[in-house]
Amino acid sequence: MKIVVAYKWASNPQDATVGAQGTVDWSRAKPGFSEYDPVAAELARRLADATGGEVIGLTVGTKRVDATLARKAALSRGFDRAVIVADDSLEGAGSTQLAAVLAAAVRHIGDVDLVITGDSSVDVGSKMVPTVLAGQLGWPAVAEVISITGQAGALRVERAVPTGTQVLEITGPVVLAASTDAAVARVPGMKDILAAGKKPVESLDLAALDIPAAAGTTTVTGTSRPDLLTRKGQMIDASDPAAAAAELVAALRGAGAL
Amino acid sequence: MSVNTWIIVAGDPAIGNLIDTARSLGGSVSVAVVGPRAVADTVAAAGVDKVVWFGEPGAVPAEAYATVVADAVAAATPGLVLAANRASDRVLLGATAARLQAPVLAAVSSITADGAGLVANCSVFGGIAEETVTVTGPLALLLEGGPVPAASTTVPVEELPATPLGITVVETKPSSFEQVDLGAAPRVVGIGRGLKTQEDLALINALADAAKAEVACSRPVAEGLDWLGKDRYIGVSGAHITPDLYFAIGISGQLQHMVGVRGAKTIVAINTDPNAPVFKEADYCLVGDLYALVPALTAALK
Ligand SMILES: Cc1cc2nc3c(=O)[nH]c(=O)nc-3n(C[C@H](O)[C@H](O)[C@H](O)COP(=O)(O)OP(=O)(O)OC[C@H]3O[C@@H](n4cnc5c(N)ncnc54)[C@H](O)[C@@H]3O)c2cc1C
Ligand SMILES: Nc1ncnc2c1ncn2[C@@H]1O[C@H](COP(=O)(O)O)[C@@H](O)[C@H]1O
Repeated sequence: MKIVVAYKWASNPQDATVGAQGTVDWSRAKPGFSEYDPVAAELARRLADATGGEVIGLTVGTKRVDATLARKAALSRGFDRAVIVADDSLEGAGSTQLAAVLAAAVRHIGDVDLVITGDSSVDVGSKMVPTVLAGQLGWPAVAEVISITGQAGALRVERAVPTGTQVLEITGPVVLAASTDAAVARVPGMKDILAAGKKPVESLDLAALDIPAAAGTTTVTGTSRPDLLTRKGQMIDASDPAAAAAELVAALRGAGAL
Repeated sequence: MSVNTWIIVAGDPAIGNLIDTARSLGGSVSVAVVGPRAVADTVAAAGVDKVVWFGEPGAVPAEAYATVVADAVAAATPGLVLAANRASDRVLLGATAARLQAPVLAAVSSITADGAGLVANCSVFGGIAEETVTVTGPLALLLEGGPVPAASTTVPVEELPATPLGITVVETKPSSFEQVDLGAAPRVVGIGRGLKTQEDLALINALADAAKAEVACSRPVAEGLDWLGKDRYIGVSGAHITPDLYFAIGISGQLQHMVGVRGAKTIVAINTDPNAPVFKEADYCLVGDLYALVPALTAALK
């Protein structure tokens, strides 16, 4: 079985700074392997080991995603090899554009049975890249995936739904988005990081990929800071719990919150 | 400029907010429904102009209809495609966006049409900033669903024959958690990883009883620890709530959590770590051990 793991190399917005006009400055936010993508890598590795398959890490982004550190961090996650599309014209690319490039790369890799993604990316986090990617490939997508077993052409996938879980049988190629708790990802050790340096990486040229044109244009015409409520920030001394509780309850009653 | 809109439904007819949004743009409002006939009938009576339905799904999940929905909606060349922010609905929206090569926007607070195209305001990067985005060409949007309205008129349901992709549901297992609607609760007690064991939830439940509040949590408590149902976690990927009062207890207050409670009128934070980010967004801050403070607070409320 040929399994692709789509992973994002991205920064946590918690570490970004936002200017008065709402412009986001990422310079102090260090990018990394996006928070939930190790779960996808782990599911892929387990499935490949159980079925004698191959795991290919795939990422798309600016030149940053192809830096030596980024390559090693990715390949230490249990991939057999990596395919990277790095081009600075992808700065700020939306989910549809990223998915179109990912789909072109999946077609380039060829004979892929399964793409596994994380639940949501740490920066954009709208859970749409896997679904648009599946659409670009003409495959279905299934999200909230808890476990994957079986063979290519006969996969058994358990996924969470609001009322519980469902077991699905899937006969064709598919994009599966892992739920955040589908597996506990192993932490790469020194051995994995050293081995990562020797694994093959293929850098694809964006211009050489067959990517459909966008249907229109998307332009950011304004930015702002979110209009947050001002919070009181009142400290209540908690050294005596009973006194603190009484003070809090009185304050909440006084403010009409209770 | 009026915009013709398609709404995509993957089995749950709770799309009132989508219908309102589509109506505000002045064009026709059509709906593509995947799921049992009863869902299509409910949508047909919700004040829309057209409903297409792809037949009884039986054991075939909504995701298997991704390509037929994308084909049907794309053939109508809509200016805007909407779906509710639910897992299966996202899959059908993504397939349609791919077919149209349309951009997708999420966390949208408003959308209008002007001569240049569609203009959307959306919250970006987990809520740290807001962007105004102008789009020429078709656009796909994820919105919060909202309850389904009942209109005075009903439109006919057109059935389109469909060959779904190869996925079948072979087993379903019910959740052990009862479902809740946090959105309706005026007070909410949120608990995070500061709680040491699942048994200690009894402390939190006692506080919630005394405060007449609903219990909620941070994401890892529902996904990972599995101590509470997934519909109880609050944040960017979970519930967005606007209660009168929110208690954040043993929750560090990461951006991705706090985005879900920004609309709360009053926030109380209890945390042992004086530097926890939650204190920057709280009205009342108690630096201390929840195991001492929660029972004291429960007693004080009685
Ligand atoms: C794309 C993405 C989406 C996400 N979506 C969400 C989301 O929707 N909702 C969400 O909640 N998270 C979400 N997260 C996760 C989020 O970033 C945080 O990891 C999570 O909210 C942390 O949960 P926590 O505060 O319970 O745990 P921790 O961060 O571990 O905090 C536990 C806190 O408990 C305190 N504590 C420990 N012992 C005690 C005690 N005895 N008494 C009092 N305090 C104590 C500690 O000081 C600490 O501050 C998302 C992350 C990503 C990347
Ligand atoms: N640029 C990218 N390159 C590779 N995979 C991506 C990229 N963006 C998103 N993904 C995958 O899609 C998942 C969901 O991302 P998102 O739709 O941005 O929330 C991530 O967890 C990744 O697995």
